[in-house]
Amino acid sequence: MTDLLARMARDRIFYLFVAPFAALTILFGLWPILLSIQVSFTASASALKPNPSYVGFANYASVLADPIFLASLSRTLLYTALAVVANLAFALFFAMLLDSALLKRGNLFFRLAIFLPVITPDVAGYVVWRWLYDRSFGAINAALKMLGLPAFGGLSSVDTAMLAVLIAELWHHAGFYMIIFLANLSMRDRTLEEAAHVDGATAWQRWWYVILPQLRPAIVINTVYALIQFLKTFTVVVVMTKGGPNDQTNFVSYYAYQLFDQARYGEATAMATILFAIVIAISLTAYRIGDREPARA
Amino acid sequence: MSPLRPNRLLQAMGYLVATVTSVLFLYPYWWMLVSAFRPTRAIMSDPLRPWPEALSFQIFSEIGRIGGVNLSTYALNSVLITSAATVLGVGVTALGAYALVRRPRAPGFSLVRYGFLVTIMYPYMLLVIPVYLVMFRLGLLGSYAGIILFLALGPLQFFLFEQFFRKIPSEVIEAALIDGASEWQILTRVVMPMAMPITATVALITFLLNWAQWFPILVISRSPDTYTLPVALLSMNSELGSNFQGIMALAVLTTLPVAALFLLAQKRVMEGMASGAVKG
Repeated sequence: MTDLLARMARDRIFYLFVAPFAALTILFGLWPILLSIQVSFTASASALKPNPSYVGFANYASVLADPIFLASLSRTLLYTALAVVANLAFALFFAMLLDSALLKRGNLFFRLAIFLPVITPDVAGYVVWRWLYDRSFGAINAALKMLGLPAFGGLSSVDTAMLAVLIAELWHHAGFYMIIFLANLSMRDRTLEEAAHVDGATAWQRWWYVILPQLRPAIVINTVYALIQFLKTFTVVVVMTKGGPNDQTNFVSYYAYQLFDQARYGEATAMATILFAIVIAISLTAYRIGDREPARA
Repeated sequence: MSPLRPNRLLQAMGYLVATVTSVLFLYPYWWMLVSAFRPTRAIMSDPLRPWPEALSFQIFSEIGRIGGVNLSTYALNSVLITSAATVLGVGVTALGAYALVRRPRAPGFSLVRYGFLVTIMYPYMLLVIPVYLVMFRLGLLGSYAGIILFLALGPLQFFLFEQFFRKIPSEVIEAALIDGASEWQILTRVVMPMAMPITATVALITFLLNWAQWFPILVISRSPDTYTLPVALLSMNSELGSNFQGIMALAVLTTLPVAALFLLAQKRVMEGMASGAVKG
């Protein structure tokens, strides 16, 4: 004990350095999370009162019996899976294209074009996309009509709303995943490809057996980032669809937020806790799977 | 470089794909810009017109007041809140990451680090009620201070600093210790000069990310007086029978400053973001 105190006293300047960081993390991170978990065990009507009444797991039980929540959860998981695959496939394809010897000129222009949406405020980007999809104002349907193609339902059709949201989110996020792939590609060992070429490997074989395994670190990081990102999808729904049409884009974050608005605090925070657990479980699993073999790059 | 000499046909296809995709990615910006200068009725009758009928800046005076607050107030709030949160966040995160890297085994330090990592995983938007409660208890509801303090910390900033401090060779610090330097002197005379470039990168990225923030600002605010441009844009977009041209003009104002800043410093931003993420 005295030993511990002596060590802490010797390192006191480091405690001083870390104090503001720790204070902000606790005040605006851990404390609200714990409060939120606490609220999830109280009755909504008393949740914000000084002496809330505790109801055990009743909120969790009612959430898990709520058909709208279960539908929302399965749609969130479906959307996350589609969005992760679409974003990573697009980003990897574009990174390979920009890294290849094919596009020497204009390379920076293409990079900037794909990356610019990442730093564009998401509200502004999604507002523009919302109106691009619009039936009477929108450029998309006007262009389809001009080309003689059938109209795109966009955000107002049950069949296309999720796709429309996915396209707008890909526009906003894919550039970020692309630059991570590009960073990884630039660190790879190019002599391996030369050797494989000399040994008679085809372009496809070189890509699949030589390049792709070296991209493992970027694939793992991008997958974890994208999973966390899309499980929490929120802003795009607030701006573009408000969960509609017919709950097609009513993902868990947005549904829980709606319950907050209706003062159903207990159930809303129970949902938040469930989503939190899912985010942690899925991203840790992805990280474990990705980390099992030592990365070569 | 590549073992294969690029084949002409393949190259043409590569350029075609890259050009079409880039044009599609940039078109929303062009459409936003053109629509900001066209009357709503003109856009409805011809949404695809590639440039405005006339170049008039009148719309910017028409949206001079939104929701009872001057447009200049929103713009000023954006600059003020973003700058303050960036300065505070960079300082606090740099010091914190430095201490955590130098003394990873000090009692409590790993708790701080894991606490921070857990916070990142929590669905941000669902912190709304508890953050509201915390701000209420601290008496910070509706204040600039509350907004700035909440925005200060971010994952990318932390990872960038942590990664940088881990790369400082221990010999450098040991040499300074042998010369009799105090930890304070090591920080200010040895580490800080080395950390100047990374600090600039982190500050730049933090500024860009904070500029885009909207939800915590909406939650902590008590009135539109503390809204920033994105929050004003969102509330304008949610109004019924909204002024379409005005929305596009406000979207331009929200996007232009960060787009310009990014284009001026694109190399630093893209390399910084990539390296900050790679050690996540």
